[in-house]
Amino acid sequence: MTTKTINLTLKVWRQNRGEKKGKLKTYFAKNISGDMSFLEMIDVVNEDLTKNREEPIAFDHDCREGICGMCGAVINGRAHGHEKETTLCQLHMRHFSDGDTIVIEPWRSRAFPIIKDLIVDRSALDRIIQSGGYISVNTGGAPDANAIPIAREVAETAFNAAACIGCGACVAACPNASAMLFVSAKISHLALLPQGRIEAAKRAKAMVRQMDQLGFGNCSNETECEAECPKGISIINIARLNREFLKAELC
Amino acid sequence: MTPYVENDQKIDTKLDAKVPPGPLAGKWDQYRFDLKLVNPANKKKFDIIVVGTGLAGASAAATLAELGYHVKNFCIQDSPRRAHSIAAQGGINAAKNYSNDGDSIWRLFYDTIKGGDFRAREANVYRLAQISNHIIDHCVAQGIPFARDYGGFLDNRSFGGAQVSRTFYAKGQTGQQLLLGAYSALMRQVASGMVKMFPRREMMELVVVDGRARGIVTRNLITGEIETYDGHAVVLATGGYGNVFNLSTNAMSSNVTASFRAYKKGAYFANPCFTQIHPTCIPVHGTFQSKLTLMSESLRNDGRVWVPKKPGDKRRAADIPESERDYYLENKYPSFGNLVPRDVASRNAKEQCDKGKGVGETGLAVYLDFEDAINRYGEDVVAGKYGNLFEMYEKITGENPYKTPMMIYPAVHYAMGGLWVDYNLMSTIDGLFVLGEANFSDHGANRLGASALMQGLADGYFIIPYTIGGYLAETTFSEVHAQNSDEFKKGVEAVNNRINRLLSVNGNRTVADFHRKLGLILWDHCGMSRNEEDLLKAKSMVNALKHEFWKDVYIPGIGKDLNQSLENAGRVADFLEFAELMITDALARKESCGCHFNTAFQTEENEARRDDENFCHVAAWEYAGEEKDPVFHKEPLEFENVKLSQRSYK
Amino acid sequence: MNWFTAFLGSSIGKKLLMALTGLGFCFFLFIHLIGNLTLYGGKNFFLSYVEHLHALGPVIIIAECGLLLFAVIHVTTGALLFIENWRARPVGYVMKKNAGGRTLGSATMPYTGFLILTFITIHLLNVHFVDLSQQTIFQVLQNIFAFFPYVVFYTLAVIIVAIHVSHGFWSLFQTLGANHPKYMPFIHGLGICFSLIIALGFGFIPAYIRFIV
Ligand SMILES: Cc1cc2nc3c(=O)[nH]c(=O)nc-3n(C[C@H](O)[C@H](O)[C@H](O)COP(=O)(O)OP(=O)(O)OC[C@H]3O[C@@H](n4cnc5c(N)ncnc54)[C@H](O)[C@@H]3O)c2cc1C
Ligand code: SF4
Ligand code: FES
Repeated sequence: MTTKTINLTLKVWRQNRGEKKGKLKTYFAKNISGDMSFLEMIDVVNEDLTKNREEPIAFDHDCREGICGMCGAVINGRAHGHEKETTLCQLHMRHFSDGDTIVIEPWRSRAFPIIKDLIVDRSALDRIIQSGGYISVNTGGAPDANAIPIAREVAETAFNAAACIGCGACVAACPNASAMLFVSAKISHLALLPQGRIEAAKRAKAMVRQMDQLGFGNCSNETECEAECPKGISIINIARLNREFLKAELC
Repeated sequence: MTPYVENDQKIDTKLDAKVPPGPLAGKWDQYRFDLKLVNPANKKKFDIIVVGTGLAGASAAATLAELGYHVKNFCIQDSPRRAHSIAAQGGINAAKNYSNDGDSIWRLFYDTIKGGDFRAREANVYRLAQISNHIIDHCVAQGIPFARDYGGFLDNRSFGGAQVSRTFYAKGQTGQQLLLGAYSALMRQVASGMVKMFPRREMMELVVVDGRARGIVTRNLITGEIETYDGHAVVLATGGYGNVFNLSTNAMSSNVTASFRAYKKGAYFANPCFTQIHPTCIPVHGTFQSKLTLMSESLRNDGRVWVPKKPGDKRRAADIPESERDYYLENKYPSFGNLVPRDVASRNAKEQCDKGKGVGETGLAVYLDFEDAINRYGEDVVAGKYGNLFEMYEKITGENPYKTPMMIYPAVHYAMGGLWVDYNLMSTIDGLFVLGEANFSDHGANRLGASALMQGLADGYFIIPYTIGGYLAETTFSEVHAQNSDEFKKGVEAVNNRINRLLSVNGNRTVADFHRKLGLILWDHCGMSRNEEDLLKAKSMVNALKHEFWKDVYIPGIGKDLNQSLENAGRVADFLEFAELMITDALARKESCGCHFNTAFQTEENEARRDDENFCHVAAWEYAGEEKDPVFHKEPLEFENVKLSQRSYK
Repeated sequence: MNWFTAFLGSSIGKKLLMALTGLGFCFFLFIHLIGNLTLYGGKNFFLSYVEHLHALGPVIIIAECGLLLFAVIHVTTGALLFIENWRARPVGYVMKKNAGGRTLGSATMPYTGFLILTFITIHLLNVHFVDLSQQTIFQVLQNIFAFFPYVVFYTLAVIIVAIHVSHGFWSLFQTLGANHPKYMPFIHGLGICFSLIIALGFGFIPAYIRFIV
């Protein structure tokens, strides 16, 4: 653990609710310990702002341990900051140096309208799941859990896809604001498992249609999503989605 | 201000647990048969409000919708998928006995009752153990990618000191996978139109009409609008209140508000002082820390806990020779060693630190050392088992646990206490059901690892769908409309008044400042070990802090906007009141049991000493009004099937 | 046919069009290169190749029509994707950095694509739609490459094609769903080799014609 503290200049996107435009405002974060997380650093700034009777910076967060997918902002041009496979809440200040200037912006995408400051509306992701990101099974009547053996590697591959936290960093990082990595993670998770195969074709068609309608851009295999995804979701899943979709449409 | 405790054994009519008669193993089956059914064609005429989208809420909302009820589902987060259940790491228990190591429904039942130090209701716990198996079946059918062995069958591990392997897991993200399963079922129902989803809403008030829960008042967290919703029943699945301690392993928005509003409307609050403190968390590093991170309990399977023998020894771990290290758990509990239950491990860590033997900058940490394991099995094997946890530790602390021992310290983790419910999971308010961590639940005075996920899903998938039907079928409902009923208008007024009151204090201190102070008071006086003097002191300190809060808090911004300071202020205001209730309960329970360790009641070996004669009961508290001590009610616990015994881990 | 248009209109459908037509162009480039390599065999060798080629008659016409159709699809779909993707982020970032996924090729696809279209148009006007009654195609080449700025233009164009292909090649496999941890590194490598071969193979033609012949 470090005792050294640093001082930073922040340029934070501020945008009032209901307004179309916002702008970067400059704040100072003083005596920031390296053990603080990025969000704790903003907490400190917010407490100072409050004491000065200014409105604190609004930002989404909840679990603060990298699993709920609620937090996220673009830090100096990088979604969730520059550390690999790290959510913003798990990005620690020891990765910054004294005197740094940090630009903090919200996710930007037509499908994620800004609500206030750094908070955006990601309900489009829920709507994609609603269109088919499930296995149609009602509670009750499931067979014994061990009735269908599933190869360990298959289960692990499915798990790795299912590890997506729905944070939207892939959309934010994508030069085209495409949601393909997110969609492919769910499609892959379910298509890999025998339980999920039954509806695979219907699901692939429905989820892609829904994604297209929500205003996301088109994937052009830039692979920025994979590079920024805090859960290391691979673009191999996007290839699988393409395959599933082509199969569903053409067969 | 010791509360008045009734000692007569007569059952409070409101506290009738409605446990069905008959032998334990057949109760639930018989009861389901006895419950009245709602005619399938009539189900669509019922509206059910479900608050919360964690394992309990999402599973309940989805299942009720599958049955044909109309459901309105609420959560604070922007998406139901982000409820705090997402963070559970370790796993979920079930009595499948896939490992063939002697597990059974009875054993899971017994372990849970015993682990809870005999402060839970037999019939509920037995039902939980029975249902546990269906949960796994259903979750696999939903496509949850549990860990599997090479033959493709489900893998189990032993967890939380259990002597059988009954824990199903999906790497260190079991809660996430289970919640995403429930969430996807929920999304399917949203698409079908049976569930209407209301994210970014905070329940601010429960609406009771003619003695029945008929709706809620919420604040739209985006616009600040106060909204009303009516229904034929209200289901609360709003999670635990661990954040009353400020620092905990819970998510930032975890709160007691929803439960507390219900409490103020007449729902009894049971065992509020039962909070679990988890032994293996990353220690506190500074004032501005916002949250404590849990490190999976499984680490204790191979890590050895120690502190320097000499108090105040500030040498680096590597410089302290073997002979000057105190492996206090191994020494004190030779047969269980580092694997003693959570409450015991936590208490001992605190004891060592209190003696000045704590390590790290703050002196509030103990070592969890993997050196022996690495020497014995090699770094690869250790990495294979705990690699992701070690990485997480390094990410947060910047230290490499392969080289230097981890530092851990206990942290508040789980609320065993909650709103009192009967066998139907209905509170003392008719039509108000409480599920998951929010109810006082099946865990007694201490919860075993991997059983909260089990309970949340049992409540939501398999219990409420039946019991709510029984209630709806038996009840005649008056017409109630959120738009024009008086009770709703009053609810809205109360919410507005409260918000205006908060905003108009216009003092000088931030909400976070009060929350930190409150947390410290509770942690020091109502945490891992308690005594009457401290509790009394804490009670007046909390009361004073509450008054200060209403005099000196400053909340920027306005009510009709997205205002996170206002959201926090509302939650902290409730925590301040709730803390008093917690302390009152701790004072009233003049025994030690599970997590509630009162230093006045301990054995010669410094273990918790229960008083089954006088305290084998659930303490249920009724709200009596502002600045009045709550009224105590007692649900005696009767054990017909298990013998009460003293826990011993020597 | 409703499902078909809906399918092709979807984001993945459009990508598929890009991939398939792109694959066609890769194939064409490959054939074109092999043909042009005859240049390095000397004037007569080259001219005999051209003669053989033209002897194919209707096959060539069909191939040309096919290429034109592919071009129309590739260009219109590409333009549509470009506009849609641009609209998907109405307010851009004040500061945006690459995370390491983007390459020069991937980042410039629409622009290199546009430049290639321009180049092809000029290239066709210069070497395809010319009157060959008075001169051989070899002389045409000699003439245009004698003009130094054109050499520069041509070389740049070839480099741009190579950059375009460096992303397009592996990308089309990804779009067709062919990404496997075992084979993708090979496909990536093949894409890079292919674009290098194209750059070198075409790129040295002017030099060869100007200085060696
Ligand atoms: C770090 C961590 C690890 C854990 N690991 C395990 C484990 O391995 N095994 C295990 O069995 N248990 C574990 N637990 C415990 C377990 O995760 C929880 O007890 C359980 O998930 C609680 O589920 P729930 O559905 O009751 O509540 P939650 O998941 O907390 O959901 C609460 C819901 O209510 C909503 N809500 C709350 N208040 C309001 C309001 N006022 N208005 C509207 N909505 C509201 C929230 O938005 C949320 O949707 C762990 C807990 C933590 C903190
Ligand atoms: S794929 Fe990765 S970046 Fe995209 S939403 Fe999921 S976790 Fe976030
Ligand atoms: S706050 Fe939950 S992932 Fe960052």
